Amino acid sequence: MKLAIVLAVVAVMVVLRLVRAGLLVWLAAWWVGTYAVLRYGFVTPIPASALHIFMAITALSLFAYATSSRERMRATYEPVLAFASESRFTLPLALVAASIPGVVAWSVYQGLQQPLQPPYFGRTVHPSPPAEITSRGEKVDLARAANPFRNLEKTDVQAFRRHVENGRRVYYRNCFFCHGDDLGGAGMYAHGLDPVPANFLDSGVLPMFQESFFFWRIAKGGPGMPDEGAPGDSAMPEWERMLSNEEMWDVILFLYDDAGYRPRALEAVGAEVAH
Amino acid sequence: MPPISRRHEASSWVTLALALAALPCFAAPAPDLGTDQQRQAGKPLYDRHCSQCHGEKGDGLGVAAPFLSPKPRDFTSGKFKIRTTPSGALPTTQDLKAIIRAGMPYTAMPGWPQFNDRQLTDVAYYVKSFAADFADPDRQPEPIQSPPVPAISGESIGRGKKLYEELGCARCHGETGRSDGVAAPTLTDDWGYLIRSADLTRRWTFRGGPTRQEIFRAFSTGLNGTPMPSFVDALTVEQRWDLADFVYSLSPRDSPEYATLLVAKKVARELDLAEGAKLFEEAEPAYFPVIGQIMQPGRAFHPSCNGIAVRAVYNETDIAFELRWNDMRAEVTGKNGPELAVAAAEDEGDEPAAAPPAAEGGGGWGDAEAAAPAAEPAAAPADVWGEGEAGAAASAAVPQSEFSDAVAIQFPAEKSLTIRKPYFVFGDKGNAVNLWFVDLAKPEPALYVGRGSDSLEPLGPRDLTVTRGYDKGEWTVVFKRRLRSQGEVTFEEQGFLPIAFSVWDGLAGERGNKRGLTNWWTVYLSPDEKPSLVREMAKWGGLAFALEVVFIGWARRRAHNSAGS
Ligand code: HEC
Ligand code: HEC
Ligand code: HEC
Repeated sequence: MKLAIVLAVVAVMVVLRLVRAGLLVWLAAWWVGTYAVLRYGFVTPIPASALHIFMAITALSLFAYATSSRERMRATYEPVLAFASESRFTLPLALVAASIPGVVAWSVYQGLQQPLQPPYFGRTVHPSPPAEITSRGEKVDLARAANPFRNLEKTDVQAFRRHVENGRRVYYRNCFFCHGDDLGGAGMYAHGLDPVPANFLDSGVLPMFQESFFFWRIAKGGPGMPDEGAPGDSAMPEWERMLSNEEMWDVILFLYDDAGYRPRALEAVGAEVAH
Repeated sequence: MPPISRRHEASSWVTLALALAALPCFAAPAPDLGTDQQRQAGKPLYDRHCSQCHGEKGDGLGVAAPFLSPKPRDFTSGKFKIRTTPSGALPTTQDLKAIIRAGMPYTAMPGWPQFNDRQLTDVAYYVKSFAADFADPDRQPEPIQSPPVPAISGESIGRGKKLYEELGCARCHGETGRSDGVAAPTLTDDWGYLIRSADLTRRWTFRGGPTRQEIFRAFSTGLNGTPMPSFVDALTVEQRWDLADFVYSLSPRDSPEYATLLVAKKVARELDLAEGAKLFEEAEPAYFPVIGQIMQPGRAFHPSCNGIAVRAVYNETDIAFELRWNDMRAEVTGKNGPELAVAAAEDEGDEPAAAPPAAEGGGGWGDAEAAAPAAEPAAAPADVWGEGEAGAAASAAVPQSEFSDAVAIQFPAEKSLTIRKPYFVFGDKGNAVNLWFVDLAKPEPALYVGRGSDSLEPLGPRDLTVTRGYDKGEWTVVFKRRLRSQGEVTFEEQGFLPIAFSVWDGLAGERGNKRGLTNWWTVYLSPDEKPSLVREMAKWGGLAFALEVVFIGWARRRAHNSAGS
């Protein structure tokens, strides 16, 4: 995120609040502000087709808001009607009337100058897992299962380190090609993949889920995701075809250990579900 | 710490004494081994970030090593590829820091830009502690002078081309630099592993970097441990710059500029495959990255091909795709197929220490992952480009592979440009793909419907036609089909379709699942006429104006009416 853009938008909103702007101005401000943040606020730009979808959604919501009560409707259309009909606005009206087709023509020009882009389908990066999976003949209850070797951390540190070490071996023989040798997602084949390999250093990945979630993702890979995860595109292999269940639990221990994160606690997840 | 460092400590004292004694006579650089503290600070960094490949003892036998090609460097050998120092010499500390920071493109060696200068220094000193040679006062490296960079010109490129021919670079790198020299299939490194001569038409893959200075350095210093010789004595500085300019000119651009979209161009004429490359003249090429098939058993951790260039044209009835990729040698006997089985053992990598490369005459590419022949250490430069026949004979000594080269294009069987595409590795149970496959040892292409790589069904003969040619290290294969074909993917003007590719190098034993492939990318059939800019702008601008007029008119009448009433 580019903080300057976001702050600028917020500042404009604050000013509007102070001068007690009318509803119409607010609607316009929301739309323009959303556009500014989406279009210029991200370091890696959002694809144009996605931007169009987001802006259409924004416009619809604003429209819904404006028409949600009689007063709001009136507050929206009356200034517009006044502007279009009262003679004191003739000059500004002429200016606006002349500039709108210009803006439209300009945006058509921009659109045609844009390099052609393939259609974009936003995928859900972390789709919800099924309740239960079978991996290599073993049933795993994803809501409840804990890493079977996690408790060794407290009971038998040496055995725990052996499992982590084994996870490290598994990682550097199988995973680093895509996920990178520093777990950052930039492995030697990452340049050929879309979606890109997960970055385990990102604080939105390991600490946000329980270990069983990753067990599911590792055992069933890209093809095991529901449709919203774009299962046909993901290069994440179905590791149950190549690794044992123990190796998969071990590599999860290694990921947390090496990246320095803790898995999300069972209670925390339970509490959220209960809400 | 282990004895290594004690030894070094002792020897560094000796060295220091020697260096001091020698100081008045000649100023040989003293071994630069860093302080104990620096090496100790380097160790945890190394153990955590490097040992999984290079091994805890620096011997190149880390856990990942069996799965890598080229193999991680054995630091105890003291042989380093990228240096500023003469052939055979050790690198300077600065050299090591530079290569650790930059990494080696298209190998498993990652760059470490995230290390700060102190960390780089510490880890470099620790790396040096693995080879006793670094402490040897007689082996202290002195960088080759790097002269200022002259301007590149058409003449310098021309002169470089002549040198390239005279010096026999083509024996290893091929006439046009595509790594297809007659001796290319026989090259091994000092550790006995087969090694590819660099593809000079893809300078972004150079281990030491793609700039003119870096290319200049590569053949000024040679790449220790590999057959790539140094030409510092054979050539003057000017000649080396000419050569660098020529090599530089062989690549079309600085970076691969990988595409995500292939635009098929509409043409008015018949798609006559006899026209060859001319048929595709007006079409924009798209260059897609090819990576190893490591998603399913039968993995290819390091496929031969790393990119495929594609162009497409179509007319009212047909569409044609041209696929081009570099291949060290055409394998046009033997067989290949997307469904051929790969032995489970091939999936396991090779333990470099446990299974020392077997000397089996020539044919080692067949199981490049498994073992490499080590007849002799790499030939000395003089042998390699001295006489003419040896290389050709050597190449013939690497027999044709049991497997032929092959290529395939893949489309979803049903038009499905949605978030749910068929799985890109030959489809899945619910979502089939069409595979246009050609075994380059056979005249006819083959069609498959894929529902997963273990479920490929051949489709009967269809209207798919194919032409192919192999020229100077490059395969060109053209597929042509009608836009519509019963029971297969349909092409529509202004339509987007997912598209993917697979490439098999027979010489490396690639077959079935063991191959290079691409993710899904997109092909677009662009209409023959681009909408005219001015007309489009006038159209939409005019429409906006008309709407305004209507709206203002309506608003005024309404105001007028309500004022009247
Ligand atoms: C061929 C490339 C490839 C290899 C090899 C690979 N992955 Fe992945 N992985 C991906 C890609 C691409 C994604 C992102 C798309 C997705 O979520 O499926 C991913 C996603 C994941 C995720 C989901 C992360 C999240 O945010 O939910 C986990 C966990 C994971 N990989 C673990 C592993 C492990 C462990 C290995 C080795 C045993 C491995 N991967 C090997 C490509 C790969
Ligand atoms: C994922 C595996 C991997 C990791 C991790 C790795 N390397 Fe390497 N390294 C390689 C491979 C493979 C090569 C050989 C590349 C070649 O020969 O083209 C190599 C080569 C080298 C070289 C030789 C450069 C030359 O000029 O010949 C040095 C020095 C090196 N690595 C240092 C390091 C250091 C220091 C680290 C840790 C910070 C590290 N490597 C981490 C795989 C790795
Ligand atoms: C005996 C065979 C042989 C000959 C002769 C030879 N090369 Fe090489 N060259 C190689 C090999 C093998 C490599 C790849 C080394 C590697 O990947 O580690 C290479 C790599 C290169 C590279 C890439 C360096 C890098 O940073 O990766 C360049 C540039 C190059 N050669 C240019 C030349 C030129 C120019 C000549 C003639 C003057 C020449 N070579 C002669 C075998 C040869």
